[in-house]
Amino acid sequence: MAGLLRDRSRRTPSVDTTAAGTDAATAPGFNMAHSPLLEVADLQVTFRGRVGTVYAVQGVNFNVEPGQTLAVIGESGSGKTVTAQAVMGLLPPSAQVSGSIRFKGQQLIGLSEQQLRDYRGRNVAMVFQNPERSLNPVMRIGTQITEAVRSHFAFDRQQAHDRAIELLRLVRVPAPARRFYEYPHQLSGGMRQRVLIAIALACEPEVLIADEATTALDVTTQAQIMNLLLDLQQQLGTALVMISHDLGLAATYARDVIVMYAGKVVERAPTDVLFGGVRMPYTRALLQAIPRIELEPHVLLPIVSGRPPDLTTVPAGCPFAPRCPDVQPDCREEAPPLREHEAGRWWACWHPCGKEPAT
Amino acid sequence: MSVPVPELLSAAPVPEAAVEVVHGPGGRATGWLRSAEIAIPGAILLVLLFGCFIWPVVYPVPKPTGGSLLTTNLPLWSHGHIFGTDIVGNDIMSRILYGGRVSFEVAAAVQVIGLVIGGVFGIVAGYRGGTLEAVMMRVLDVFIAFPSLVLVLAIADSLGPSETHVIWALSAFSIPAFARVARAATLRLRDQPFVVAARLSGTKSWRIQFLHIFPNMLPQLLTFSLLGASITIILEGALDFLGYGIPPPGASWGNMIAAGQSFISVAPRFVVVPSIFLFVTTLSMNLLGDGLRARWGVR
Amino acid sequence: MLWGVTFLTFLVLNALPGDAASALLGINATPAEIRTFSIKLHLNDPLFVRYGHWLGDVVTGNLGTSLASPQSVASMLGQRLPVTLELVVYALIITFAVSIPLAVLCARRPRGVIDRLSMVLSMAGISVAPYVLALLLVIVFAVDMSVFPAIGYQSISQGLAGNLRDMTLPSIVIALPLTAFYTRFLRADLLEQMQSEDYIITARAKGLSLWRVLTQHALRNSFIGLLTIIGLNLATLIGSTVIVEQIFSLPGIGYELLQAISNRDVPVVEGIVLVFGAAVVLANLLTDLLYSVLDPRIRHVRSRT
Repeated sequence: MAGLLRDRSRRTPSVDTTAAGTDAATAPGFNMAHSPLLEVADLQVTFRGRVGTVYAVQGVNFNVEPGQTLAVIGESGSGKTVTAQAVMGLLPPSAQVSGSIRFKGQQLIGLSEQQLRDYRGRNVAMVFQNPERSLNPVMRIGTQITEAVRSHFAFDRQQAHDRAIELLRLVRVPAPARRFYEYPHQLSGGMRQRVLIAIALACEPEVLIADEATTALDVTTQAQIMNLLLDLQQQLGTALVMISHDLGLAATYARDVIVMYAGKVVERAPTDVLFGGVRMPYTRALLQAIPRIELEPHVLLPIVSGRPPDLTTVPAGCPFAPRCPDVQPDCREEAPPLREHEAGRWWACWHPCGKEPAT
Repeated sequence: MSVPVPELLSAAPVPEAAVEVVHGPGGRATGWLRSAEIAIPGAILLVLLFGCFIWPVVYPVPKPTGGSLLTTNLPLWSHGHIFGTDIVGNDIMSRILYGGRVSFEVAAAVQVIGLVIGGVFGIVAGYRGGTLEAVMMRVLDVFIAFPSLVLVLAIADSLGPSETHVIWALSAFSIPAFARVARAATLRLRDQPFVVAARLSGTKSWRIQFLHIFPNMLPQLLTFSLLGASITIILEGALDFLGYGIPPPGASWGNMIAAGQSFISVAPRFVVVPSIFLFVTTLSMNLLGDGLRARWGVR
Repeated sequence: MLWGVTFLTFLVLNALPGDAASALLGINATPAEIRTFSIKLHLNDPLFVRYGHWLGDVVTGNLGTSLASPQSVASMLGQRLPVTLELVVYALIITFAVSIPLAVLCARRPRGVIDRLSMVLSMAGISVAPYVLALLLVIVFAVDMSVFPAIGYQSISQGLAGNLRDMTLPSIVIALPLTAFYTRFLRADLLEQMQSEDYIITARAKGLSLWRVLTQHALRNSFIGLLTIIGLNLATLIGSTVIVEQIFSLPGIGYELLQAISNRDVPVVEGIVLVFGAAVVLANLLTDLLYSVLDPRIRHVRSRT
């Protein structure tokens, strides 16, 4: 797909290409191997509404390197989607955001809507969960793609059309020229998701966030889409942030994993290291709840007791304390900070599994 | 795959404060103002009702008819006649009050008739379904497409102008309207778990219809009837205005406006005063209906 | 269904007390005169016979002759229909030209100045009685400012400018409540989409401006709902035209209807009812057609593989 790689530093790329078949590490615009694309530091997001105040994100830290595949794991309510929204600049005006989100050094919090608009879709793009609902039912899918392209680049209609067909081919939609003129309801779920990926990649963003992008699909399609995403990542050098509640997905596809609970990051490690030996009791519980073939039939899966955390208060101690099977008195008193206890491994626990208590 | 625990919040909460409350005339979503949306129009209506029905009984108000020729055409704020008098000497203020009685009575009666007859119609049609519903709906369609206007005018014209006739004539509008609303609501409620449960436990169908389904559509019906009441008042005024309603010397807002038409340039008050009352009444009804609809969460 | 409507009308009109002959001949007619007149017009034939005659005539295109004047009903309608039609079209143009942009402006900045103002004004707009509004406009424009005439009508053939001038006030009277209603509806629908529809989030994530999102995405979807509302409003629209024509003395169908009813001029009333009924049926067909144009999902129901 040579026609897709363009010089990222120019705002209006020409249609034909210069470098063919380059990979992520040497693509133009890629400065240094370890300068993070995205740096999120102490992100806090609070919503003040009539029902009360919701502390959706209570201090999140992570980085995204170019070309990295990162999985963000957490259950509903852990704050993972709100974090993604914050990175995209899609939070409603009533949200109070503090902390720092930097893209290539540029601070995103506090930018005007106009500036955020330029940034959205061009530098960071997002693919959402419900393919049926995420496409406008009364617009042709081709138009929905060209719209994405033309809002950032000065293409004319023909150029945009060509680009859209190219993108459809890239995401492996058969008969792209015909599909261009079709409406969302004429496509299957898997194909709609591909269209959404095409839209997200239209402007060759450097980071692609996939928020539960495969949750609504059946298992076979899920695998197809994930493979597609990984291939695209390889080809285009895009960093991929996968948001999910599915640890299995993370294990299979991601290079690094972040685990979130109650608006905080509680564990962070490369995938193989994490699954080699978890530290957070929460992560361990998640792992134990995965059904496995090796288990005896009719064995009860271990369930974590208690209810998900109430985000309208900020607890004094560790948020997992009420439900943790290994809880100790000091867990309730003070919240453990997220620290890099070992090289490349971070966790936030006073009494991690498999380790001596951290002091 | 994930830990089997109950969901707390959806992954992307959209807090209410960020977005506009879609009902109501642009009022803020905060508590006290929301109550004001209901309280203020409600209070206005109560004052009007009091003034029309109770005040003349309690306080000696000049009679609305049979004014003397000695006191014709008095201007506003005259002594003893706050709004002045009309061309035959009647006190305008009392004509307003008595006219208001007519308006409220007609509105209430028409809505009640519509609610009862139309409501029953709609619930039965919606619940039974099948051919009964199909037939009923066809009849209803004919009524709705039928220029009820023709019916109304014809009835009013031939039976002679009178309040009761106006009520029956206007019911021709309200009955089909209520039937439609009731049927739609019944269809929506019919498959709810609590109805199914009642059916399965052997409850007689009429009990289900009226003790289970009907109470659940009350908020909808009530707000609908408020809005319907405001429309009815306007229509009643229209009938009077065209000459088909309450004949003079009886007082009604519509015929006051009609009578005042010819004097628009010299004495606009003949038209303006009843118009203001009409407007305030319908506005309050609409506001109240809207406020209740937002409060009760009806679509 | 047209059949049902017309039959019902016939039934009603004839069931009511009041005799066409006496109404037409006036109070001083002698019973003998009334009798001959009735016989001449077949007014004493049984109900079904008369209806049958009329129906037969209609199918062959003959709507009969007015009882009140020698004119044929068809030609009467032909004269008056364009007037009413023009009124309605003019009013609808005003309505859409105002309500659509206004709703978008409101949704653009909820609870902003324009939004609050529009909501208040539209609330007032739907609470006003047409006749009150008409008189008010007359006071302001015709009497004080002499910009628009209070009554009277000038046909197009006599000059377009004059015609528009005469029709403006009546059209505004009809358009105002409609505009208020549609603005509120569109605004609510747009906002609901902006709040809760996923494709809106996708559109924003692409980097589209709010304005574009509103007009290109949300508005397109709103049109479908708007169509339904318009269909429902049809009957009220007809009612408004009657009143407005009366006030402004416009020679349209509504005006004629009032005359005909009081004259018990059955053929004319039947003719008008037929026209109204046909209009409703036509409107229904039109909306169905437009649905399939606007909503591609409906369009493809049959051709889905």
